[in-house]
Amino acid sequence: MAFVKDILDGTKTLLTGMKVTLNNFRKPSITSKYPIEKIEMSEAFRNVIVLIEKDDIQSHDCIGCKACERVCPSFCIDVDGERPEGMRRMRATEFKVDFALCSDCGLCLDVCPTDTLGYSKIHDETGYNRSDFVYDLLDPWRDAEGPTVERLRKLEEEQAAAKKARTVKKAAAKKAAAKKAETETSKETTEETPTNKNDAENNDA
Amino acid sequence: MASRFDVVQDAESRDTYYLNMGPQHPSTHGVLRLKLHLDGETILSVDPVIGYGHRAHEKMAENRDYLQFLPNPSRVDYISGMIYNIGYCQAIERAMGIEVPERAEYIRVIANELNRISSHLLWLGTFLLDLGAFTPFLYAFDDREKILDILDRVTGSRLTYCYGRFGGVTLDVDDLFLQQTAEFCTHFKTRFALYEELVIDNVIFQERTVGVGVFEPDLIQKYGVSGPCLRAMGQANDVRKDEPYGIYDRFDFDIPTQMAGDCFVRSLVRMDEMRQSVRIVEQAVKDIPDGPFIAPKVPKRIRPAEGEYHFCVESARGNFGIYIVSDGSDIPFRLKMRTPSFANMATMPDVMKGTLLSDAVAILGSIDIVVPEIDR
Repeated sequence: MAFVKDILDGTKTLLTGMKVTLNNFRKPSITSKYPIEKIEMSEAFRNVIVLIEKDDIQSHDCIGCKACERVCPSFCIDVDGERPEGMRRMRATEFKVDFALCSDCGLCLDVCPTDTLGYSKIHDETGYNRSDFVYDLLDPWRDAEGPTVERLRKLEEEQAAAKKARTVKKAAAKKAAAKKAETETSKETTEETPTNKNDAENNDA
Repeated sequence: MASRFDVVQDAESRDTYYLNMGPQHPSTHGVLRLKLHLDGETILSVDPVIGYGHRAHEKMAENRDYLQFLPNPSRVDYISGMIYNIGYCQAIERAMGIEVPERAEYIRVIANELNRISSHLLWLGTFLLDLGAFTPFLYAFDDREKILDILDRVTGSRLTYCYGRFGGVTLDVDDLFLQQTAEFCTHFKTRFALYEELVIDNVIFQERTVGVGVFEPDLIQKYGVSGPCLRAMGQANDVRKDEPYGIYDRFDFDIPTQMAGDCFVRSLVRMDEMRQSVRIVEQAVKDIPDGPFIAPKVPKRIRPAEGEYHFCVESARGNFGIYIVSDGSDIPFRLKMRTPSFANMATMPDVMKGTLLSDAVAILGSIDIVVPEIDR
């Protein structure tokens, strides 16, 4: 009798399983047809790093400081930078990433002082050997590097000139204020308006 | 070393033999080798051979600074990597006294619990694959995929997360994430009925698991069993309740326990744990405050004061402990990871003794080991 009960129990279980499976035939398909339909990558998507264009200099802002190279746990970043002649700011001359070693931890993005590192949206790279995954991040920027450096130099010169002008103005204002104070103490009169004007100039500087 | 079907004579001059289960065996979930000493189909003794997946994580920690070790913990247990990654961050925060913003704490709890559910779902699928049931695997992975999609959109990875940072998380979550999470919780609560119907009530499943692989109480102290295996022995032990880390003391949840200690109740405990995780996630999604997702002032150089630090979290497999010996420098002098799979797997010789070969597969599946976590 127990034998028959076992068979009945087993059949019941089997039918329950079948019911669950059959119910799923009524549901719409959720498969995405991947190679035909490209999947949109999210903002947080992580892959090989890239240099991001900065608006103010219309190029990447990598200064070759090696912060990312030092922090990388997988030792897959190779950066070098030099100072273009007559400039105060450094420019990267070499930026290689061996993506075969990368573990996508994102520490390089965190330490970047100029925030010029980001993730690319590549998600379907393939290759025949490991050297195919060594990315030269400066490659897209190399052609425009000459004009960029010129532009940066001009920008820097402008900034330096502006700063110089400010310092000159500041010094002049200080001198004037000192002179005024001197005359004030000698005359012992109060002339508030010009002093305030000088103060305002100082603050601007 | 005995070859595969080497017949040896024991003291009683019976024909017994050694059988290798693994290193490449579908039910070992990785490269674990069990040297089984068999008499017919009965297991006389088991000798687990580990180390095939050894990657020297602990030694790696001694060669790099605290920050650079960040990608490693999630590779130790790649199935609940989020808990390990964030657990390591919390250990360093505790050692350094870094304050974590409220929002970050809530994000961490949501991410942790979602990861715990996904880990248990993977266990459900693979455990039943070991027992020969293929269909539940597909349903479990259907739900797991939803979690991975939700987490992937914010963390940028699907398995080996590196989402935590000292003092917070990498990226803030948006409203869509919270909405997706809430939707998933509602959907997932309806799925329990399906799993009960398809798996727990199944006669074949019960025949294979009830009374199989019973853990004797003395194993707890002998090997340090933790996690769902321990809770299936009637011990309400959970690091989240016993010594709440993060903000776990704010949530209302229970520790599911069962008395029998066999494969069947271990499954029940894990099913109940998923229910509790859903409860925690729902509360966290409801209460999550606005604010920064990472502490504004994190020391640039992580240098815990000279001394020893121990911090443990409740991973999906049990008590995961991180023990750090600092000599006051940038680099840990020693970093030891106490992994729950190792302790749980160490009970196997005692538990499997006297069972049948086919039960060995069920027992190994039910304790939910991750082999790279054993080897580290």
